[in-house]
Amino acid sequence: MTSRARPTASSAASNSKPLRARAQPIAVYALLILGVIIVIVPLMWAAAASFTPNHKVFEYAYPFSWRALFPVDFTLEAYDNLFDRGFGRAVGNTFFLAIATVIIGGAVNALAGFAFGRFEFRGKNALFLTIVMLTFMVPVDLTAIPRYILVNNFGWINTWQGLLVPGLANSLVIFLFRQFFAEIPQELIDAARVDGATWLRVLISIILPISKPVLVAAALLMFISQWNAFFWPLLIAPTKEMRVVQVEISLAIGQYGTVWNELLAGSMIAAIVPILLVIPFQRYYVQAITGTGLE
Amino acid sequence: MMPARQQIIPYLFLLPALFLLVVFNLMPTIATLFESMFVISLRSGERVFAGFANYNRIFNDPIFWKSFQVTVVFSLLVNPIQIALALGLAVLINQRAPGIGIFRSIYLLPIAVSLNVTAIVWGLMLDQNSGMVNGILLQLGVARQPFLHSVDQALWSIILIASWIGVPLWSLFILAGLQNIPPPVLEAAKIDGANAWQSFTKITLPLLRRVLAFVLVADTVANFLMFAPILLLTSGGPQLSTNLIMYETYRRGFLYGDLGASAAMLSVMLLIVFIIVGIELYALRGRD
Repeated sequence: MTSRARPTASSAASNSKPLRARAQPIAVYALLILGVIIVIVPLMWAAAASFTPNHKVFEYAYPFSWRALFPVDFTLEAYDNLFDRGFGRAVGNTFFLAIATVIIGGAVNALAGFAFGRFEFRGKNALFLTIVMLTFMVPVDLTAIPRYILVNNFGWINTWQGLLVPGLANSLVIFLFRQFFAEIPQELIDAARVDGATWLRVLISIILPISKPVLVAAALLMFISQWNAFFWPLLIAPTKEMRVVQVEISLAIGQYGTVWNELLAGSMIAAIVPILLVIPFQRYYVQAITGTGLE
Repeated sequence: MMPARQQIIPYLFLLPALFLLVVFNLMPTIATLFESMFVISLRSGERVFAGFANYNRIFNDPIFWKSFQVTVVFSLLVNPIQIALALGLAVLINQRAPGIGIFRSIYLLPIAVSLNVTAIVWGLMLDQNSGMVNGILLQLGVARQPFLHSVDQALWSIILIASWIGVPLWSLFILAGLQNIPPPVLEAAKIDGANAWQSFTKITLPLLRRVLAFVLVADTVANFLMFAPILLLTSGGPQLSTNLIMYETYRRGFLYGDLGASAAMLSVMLLIVFIIVGIELYALRGRD
């Protein structure tokens, strides 16, 4: 639908340059703005409603008025109540988990990416295809039940290990590191090796300092996917003390189903963290998520 | 090419990641297939080998087939819709227009937001009594719609929710593909007298083939596993009209404790995912 508008608008005017220069931008901007409305309006309403007394959450939404998009009856009631109920615990849990994933998972995946990107060794392609590619193809949620049984056997239900360890190794992140490390000039590494540096030292002192783009991309990817993770934490750590943000807001639907402003306040906290990370680093984030699709 | 002594180094570097992938990803994949052959005995509580009994049960179960059918219908609707809109959006944000960077940033927002949050917000937006969508329809003089509470509209509502994230997400891949097309190729077409529509269909689209094939597979697999909006908003209803298969496996396995049937369904899904991915690999390999 939308893809047709541009070519038709410009082809209709292809003989007269000045007209084309005007007609095309108008059509483009009209569609761009329509898209922005669809993206922004739900978020603005949700944010505004989270700062609204509960009985007024739908007041300007039905019938619709522009007031629905702004917190005209501003109150922090929802956020106060939410944190009184212990939502802060879930926020803390999720931050801890996401940061631990970035640090430990980052190290694990960078080492593997380094090995695949810079070494020739027996079985390299076989290992890459059978383990990394295969796990990349099988969506983790599909294998959640046996993973749950396995982790249960370890006694890891409702533990940090249960939440953290199964998600540390990430084939997408290994991909990203491998791709980036493979393109680093050999001379840089040779120079350090001649000076007697170990491979681990080469990785830490030579390669990592010049790998900021892939480090940022991998960190964003791991942090946000852990922050937004839902199915696994729901299965493995449903108790109040271990709950993560996504699980907490989902369970709130059942428990406090009519306390809309608190539900939305929780959702806004869940949404704002990845948004604040993505906006300043969007170039890296886009690279991270599109990196593997275009091989 | 490297001294033998160093040959152990790459294996050491690989060890932590590959160990974790094998234990927590590869083994559970195999175990899913394995688990589907067992049932938990009602009398002893032990796991008992059951051969294909679980498969027999699900294949003779109308709820499974209904769920399968809903999933197929959902896939046939949501994937073409998302990819067509994503292609359109990618072409739009690929324009060199003033302020385009701001638009691109805004379109990234849904991608950062989780599916849960999206489901919660849109669930309230689509509320049948006082949601904003009905509020806007009221202003336009259109009657109130039941959305998630109607057999006819619930699946469409899920499609809307999934697409709010899906369209901007897949458009990023297509945008990257568009930016990989060398400008001289399109300029040459223009010199040859092709209009914009012709150069889009004859040059741009064929050059996007690989990206579109990837997006088609990745989107199909992602939507095949659609779960959170169903759990949060419809529980598969009304009248099983949104009972997508991933939710059905969860319902069987974790709500009813029938892990055997759940694993059998997941094995069927695994097989389908492998077929989808296999077709992609085959198709992409053939073209090189």
